[in-house]
Amino acid sequence: MPRVAPPEPAVTGLARSRELGRGLAAAHATAAEAEALPLVLGESNRLVREHADAAEIDREGRLPEALRTRVAEAGLFGLTVPEAHGGAGFSLKSACAVVAEIARVERSTAIMIGLHSGLGTRPLVELGDEALKARLLPEIASGACIAAFAATEAQAGSDLTGIRTTGSVEGDELRIDGEKVYVTNGGFAGCYSVLARTPGLGGARAHSLLLVPRDTPGVSVGPEEDKLGIRGSSTVTVYFDGARVPRQNVLGEAGRGIDQAHAALAWGRTLMAAGCVGTARAALDLTLAHVTTRQQFGKPIGDFSASRAHVARMASRHYAAETLVRWVGHALAEGEPIDELSLLAKVLASEASFEICDRAIQLHGALGFIEPTGVARLLRDCRITRIFEGANDVLLVRGGTAVLSRRPSLSRASLATEVDPDLEREAKAWDALHARLTDARLSVAKEHGVGVVRHQLVLQAVARANLCLVTALATLLRASSAAGASERELGRHASEDLLLEAERHLDDLARAVRDEARVHAVSEHLYAPLRRPAAAEPESPK
Amino acid sequence: MSTHEAPTREHVVAMVAKILKVEAAKINGTDRLREDLGMDSLASLELLSCISDELDVDIELDEAMELVTVDDACAFVNRVYREQRQGASGSSS
Repeated sequence: MPRVAPPEPAVTGLARSRELGRGLAAAHATAAEAEALPLVLGESNRLVREHADAAEIDREGRLPEALRTRVAEAGLFGLTVPEAHGGAGFSLKSACAVVAEIARVERSTAIMIGLHSGLGTRPLVELGDEALKARLLPEIASGACIAAFAATEAQAGSDLTGIRTTGSVEGDELRIDGEKVYVTNGGFAGCYSVLARTPGLGGARAHSLLLVPRDTPGVSVGPEEDKLGIRGSSTVTVYFDGARVPRQNVLGEAGRGIDQAHAALAWGRTLMAAGCVGTARAALDLTLAHVTTRQQFGKPIGDFSASRAHVARMASRHYAAETLVRWVGHALAEGEPIDELSLLAKVLASEASFEICDRAIQLHGALGFIEPTGVARLLRDCRITRIFEGANDVLLVRGGTAVLSRRPSLSRASLATEVDPDLEREAKAWDALHARLTDARLSVAKEHGVGVVRHQLVLQAVARANLCLVTALATLLRASSAAGASERELGRHASEDLLLEAERHLDDLARAVRDEARVHAVSEHLYAPLRRPAAAEPESPK
Repeated sequence: MSTHEAPTREHVVAMVAKILKVEAAKINGTDRLREDLGMDSLASLELLSCISDELDVDIELDEAMELVTVDDACAFVNRVYREQRQGASGSSS
């Protein structure tokens, strides 16, 4: 997986814009998938509705083994495994559509399949030794061996460079020692892609990805974590105590583990974002059914403007998240980089899904707050997505750094000439804000230089303004290619919201350094008593 | 170190070692910041930000992203330091 440069959210010509707009309007990536995908979506939906009781899974805190068997029989564990190795060979884009469809019904099942199809499997598919792939991928595709990814440690979450698990070279083998926490799928996985420090393979702090089968002596698994949401998904600590694997199990070039993990995370984040799109859709569907039937003051509550504002916001945010997730899949299918796009999609979709579920509860009133209605579970299920596979706070810092680390194109893009005339007003607003962001980037780079890395609020404001503009570009191009007036109106509303937010984040950027000083002062007052040495504490009253 | 001294290779390696929390003796000039030393983009920028503060030189973000090895970082820092000191003395004379 080569490291690739992040994309610029620029307009690159009418033909490409129209092609991208059509790409964003479709859930599939290829002509073959266009035929197969609707069948797979229908079958996946039916299977999960029949065999996954969301309330029971939430209550019991585990996915029934019978459900895993059904998922395996339906071939869903082979979704992204190449056809040559027994899988369906679906693109990331189509796999996202399937994961979203499953998440509409039951999120823990979607997490299991999404994690397996992305983070769990991609390192082996992309980097693995041919003999290793030939041996393991058919088992992974059949579901006989469910895949997991083990990177996070108790002391190293968002900062993977701080991991302590080691893979020491001993003859033709690597001896693995350490422990990995919060390993999704870990309880029933058959193999783990493990990020470890491998000082014998590269420099003093070289890292590598190692494929470790579950049945390797020295591998053991802790109890399941008791979680707020996605309670059916498996989350465990995995222990490695002198576990030995052949050197053939080093995935790809030794020493490139951090980059390889980030490349796998690009897939993982996108599939996770797709799950958020599915959960958001479920919350929207429940809300539409509720507000059109629940009567107050003599008419359905959905008829009131205050309710319509919630519903319009929910639908437009879902549209924005779905569009951005599709853009990641479209970009990958076109051979374009997805590092930064996947990061943006993860942040947007995780925040959008939580907001949509929160509004769903609001419109359900007290019914939304009690568990049997199912809306509360949706909110709990999507809370973790703002944290795992990169906490959004850290991803925004990284995203801002990425934006500022490349010189912006000074040729002014003009989206107004690229969209349907009906959307020209929004496109002109996009042009103006894009120019404002470009100026802000140049100004920040000049003022702070490399020292901007210490100004997290500056980086986050840049990242958020960029996120809104990238997404607004996508929604405007998708809406431009839409045949129906209703989708165009939805796209317009989604774009307007995003443009307003971009403007707000650019305002935030202008005062970010001052804000940093203020929050530093406030928090220091709160931290100070906790930092006092024990000797300075007041004596107990006599 | 004094801001009037040109940065030596040892100074830069010492800062890399401090950030990575490893012994300076274990760091080689040919070590790649990413592959051999496990630094991601944020850690690389943190290093250059420290160097920028320590030596009182301005380092631009996009230049910083081009560095591959410890030797690259040493040569880059030395060049930037000399250019900026020459520019400063030229403008003051």
